[in-house]
Amino acid sequence: MTSITSQKTGARRPSHAPLPDGSRKRGGRPWGLPWIMPAFVFVVGLLYYCIIETGYLSTLDWDGTSPTPTSVGLGNYSEILQDPIFWKAIWHTVVFFVVTFTVQTAIGFVFAALLHSKVKLGAVYKVLVFTPVVLAPATMAPVFRQMFAADGQLNWALDHIGLGFLAQPWLAQSSTAMPVIMFITVWQFTGLTFVLYFAAMGQIDPETLEAARTDGASNLRVLVSIVWPGVRGTTVALAMLGVIGALKTFDVPYLVTIGGPNYSTEFLGTYIYRISIPSAHVGYGAALSILLLILALIGAIAVAARANRKDGESSV
Amino acid sequence: MLGSSRIWKRRLPGAAAVFTAAALALAGCAGGGTAETTDKGSADSGSITWWGWTPDSAPAEAYIKAFNQVYPNIKVTYKKLTIDGYDAAIRPALASSVGPDVFDVAPGAANGSVDIYGVNAVDLTPAVEKALGADWKSKLAPIGVSSLTADGKLAGLSIGSNYAGSVWVNQDLFDKYSLKPPTNYDEWKQVCAAFKSHGVKCFVQGAAQTAFNEDTLQAISNNIKPGVWAQALDKKVPWTDPTIVQALTIWKKLFDDGIMQEGALGVQQYPDANNDFMSGKAAMVMMGTWYMQYSTVDGSTAAISGAGVGDPKPFTQLPIAFPDVAGTGNVGSLYGDADFGLAVNKKSKSIAAATTFATWLTTSQAGQQAVADILNDIPALMSVQPNWSSIKLVNAEKQQPALEKLITDAGKSPEPRLATVSADLQTAIGVASTTVAAGQATPEQAAATLQSSAEKIK
Amino acid sequence: MFEARRPSTRLLLQLLVTLMIIPYLFPLVVMIQGSLAGKGLGNYEAVFAVGTVGTFFRNSVIVSVSTILIVYVLTMFAAFGFSKLHIRGKEVYFWMILAALTLPEVVLLTPLFATTLSIGVYDTYWAVVLPLAALQIPFAVLLARKFIDGVPDSLFDAARVDGASVFTAFRYIVVPMTRPIAAAIVVLTLIGSWNDYLLPLVLIQDPAKQTITLLPQFFVSQFSNDQTKVLASAVITAIPEIVAYLCLQRLFERGLAAGALK
Repeated sequence: MTSITSQKTGARRPSHAPLPDGSRKRGGRPWGLPWIMPAFVFVVGLLYYCIIETGYLSTLDWDGTSPTPTSVGLGNYSEILQDPIFWKAIWHTVVFFVVTFTVQTAIGFVFAALLHSKVKLGAVYKVLVFTPVVLAPATMAPVFRQMFAADGQLNWALDHIGLGFLAQPWLAQSSTAMPVIMFITVWQFTGLTFVLYFAAMGQIDPETLEAARTDGASNLRVLVSIVWPGVRGTTVALAMLGVIGALKTFDVPYLVTIGGPNYSTEFLGTYIYRISIPSAHVGYGAALSILLLILALIGAIAVAARANRKDGESSV
Repeated sequence: MLGSSRIWKRRLPGAAAVFTAAALALAGCAGGGTAETTDKGSADSGSITWWGWTPDSAPAEAYIKAFNQVYPNIKVTYKKLTIDGYDAAIRPALASSVGPDVFDVAPGAANGSVDIYGVNAVDLTPAVEKALGADWKSKLAPIGVSSLTADGKLAGLSIGSNYAGSVWVNQDLFDKYSLKPPTNYDEWKQVCAAFKSHGVKCFVQGAAQTAFNEDTLQAISNNIKPGVWAQALDKKVPWTDPTIVQALTIWKKLFDDGIMQEGALGVQQYPDANNDFMSGKAAMVMMGTWYMQYSTVDGSTAAISGAGVGDPKPFTQLPIAFPDVAGTGNVGSLYGDADFGLAVNKKSKSIAAATTFATWLTTSQAGQQAVADILNDIPALMSVQPNWSSIKLVNAEKQQPALEKLITDAGKSPEPRLATVSADLQTAIGVASTTVAAGQATPEQAAATLQSSAEKIK
Repeated sequence: MFEARRPSTRLLLQLLVTLMIIPYLFPLVVMIQGSLAGKGLGNYEAVFAVGTVGTFFRNSVIVSVSTILIVYVLTMFAAFGFSKLHIRGKEVYFWMILAALTLPEVVLLTPLFATTLSIGVYDTYWAVVLPLAALQIPFAVLLARKFIDGVPDSLFDAARVDGASVFTAFRYIVVPMTRPIAAAIVVLTLIGSWNDYLLPLVLIQDPAKQTITLLPQFFVSQFSNDQTKVLASAVITAIPEIVAYLCLQRLFERGLAAGALK
């Protein structure tokens, strides 16, 4: 690794030199390698050992402590492909991602736009939508179990606004447990989406907005054709994080429903935990983790590729 | 971990190997081998650390204080980890050279499984022999010894045991509505209907936390035909045995007949079901001997306040036998395990001092009396009984005889609870219990699925 | 973003944002209620009575501030490099950094334990700070890169014409103009490091170096779970983060509007 780095850095131009002239297309931009190297070396140096170690463990049948692990080659992987719970978890992840990402993005975006407008008591709303982000799922899980219990506050509220027929034991049924998990996730992460959109909207040129308004564009029109494209970078970043996050989903389903009832809220993250820690199938868990890594990268690259294609179309 | 890393080091190609091999070599130096430390240190002085998910910090400090009266020169530092965090934390710690000197282990698939971490522990047989004499086995509760023995070595010393099989009732609620704790299925159904009419939950079970479903299923199964459940765990009879199928059928009926609270499948035993019982919202709960601690004024006041009650008023909690739901008359079965034990890390630099502490707490009269009086565990040293005159019960007249009977009955029981249940089997039993309860499988189908999963477990 | 000239529109917007906030408010109310159940404010007193709140708090501040500094500096350099400078095989480096984001924390624990031991930082704050920073950088770089993409190239071209060095361009264009996203990154990193539970639990042995997330465990044990005090601990833990967010809030709103090249 050291040799690669020095080769590359050897070829770089001095970073403090003036920006050279010349067309950008011919690579006239200054060399950026020294700028990214600190972060790269730091992240790769600290975490790649974990990835390599996990990759190695994934070829073992091992309980994590026994002095004699058995090598099984790719056996764990072929077993996973026939594991119905794995496929169930993948399916849950897909549904979960589509729903939570859409809802979170819509709400976070609208919130950010509304709170950039002249709304009274803005700080109060900001704190309320942000607070869930900082609350640890471990402490909130019992609160949610209580809220969604058969005699919980949600059913109580439904009763009192004349929707009593909707009351049900939300977490006890396979059909409603997943929507509850999605609700909690959206509740928890909208604040994040909001904060990022709020920051991104600060980058939109007020003069453009002003010009559009002078041309008689409505609020909705401004939102759709100026603000939304203006924060696309953030949307793409959030989509990539969303894919990775959905695959890693662990806290909420593990703490609220323990993946149940009957695996109806099982995700890759909860499955990996259950397999590697309580069941101590360290090798199988490592193989699941490596598959998770690959799927997450494929998903994130797909999002990025799609975004690039769109960029190409729109920048005619 | 280090063992595997060494195998791996040889295979690594290329430049990456330089970086990682260097890292590993360093880790290897620090970690040492799997061999036991030869220098055991001094037996009555030194400084040791103890990691556990239990007991709480307060009783742990009390134990250590009592210990220091005898061994003032051994400094014990207790680090309490959470139940969820324990396994994640202890595994790498034991693989390193800086792990704890003493650590908690438990039988079966629960956290700190002795089957998994036993390899990291010193064999404590010589230490116990020294403390209690050659006939030490006759002085300790057999269940504690057998369930903490792994690969022929005594990997952990049991602090005490827990038994399940009993149901706890809020006697004050029963009295308030002039009801009697149920003894059979029909009475149970009537009692629950009566409580429901008063807006009180009858029996709560945190069916989402499936380990506790096993307690209830084992109780039902033992009521139908004693011992079949334990035989199934032991692979002597298949899970498709008619007794198990019937147990699952009765389990399902508990849900259909309104004995189980509504929404039980979304509830966890801790904290949800426990809080319902403590706050007086529910009259009955499936809990074991560890619930004895809430018969004391202090224990129950703290628990009730912790359940969110503003002005905690202790109430009379009583253990009753699981109702005779199958109508066979086989009632009162209890099954238990060593609650947790203390193991000595074989890489410890102060094995001798660590052993002194572990042995004192689990085999000395003073150490075990401290354990007994908290009423959390039934002490491992059989000669020790709770010192009733110093324990302040909420309703001594009713509770003391019930608790004494519970302790005596438990002591007689050889039946294991979770000790022989692997994590995979636990998952499979959990699936059976929840699919049946949710109506997604018939008892027969669930039993068949359970059996086929059990066969796949190595 | 919305312009409300008429009072009726203003009222409508206010109503809309209020309706949208209700589902967010509801669980918070249940939580606060829970933290006050039983002994009321006595629960909070009990949490402080544990006696280690001050130490835990200080440790969490040390860990979070160090993590934020590392993340901010490395992220800004890298994001600028990825967005505006020439790097051969840029995307390969980028995706290699991003890949580090995909491993679940449970899987990281054992190898991280070995790594921290081998580089000699086990049982120091660094054992927690370094992995936390490494885990936060990938997403921070992704965000900041996208944000800097939005800064017009013309600004850099102008700087180049003026003969400014790359570092000058970074210092006088990137740093001021990225304040909104920097504020977001600081907040995210704060949350990530302040709330992290497993790493301090496993990688720090010394009780005097433990962080604030270990507070609730004083009230949870094998056979009891004092929910009221757990929730009170959660409120106490959350307040510094909310205050920090409010303090940074002004920065989120600056951007182009703040003007970089004045």
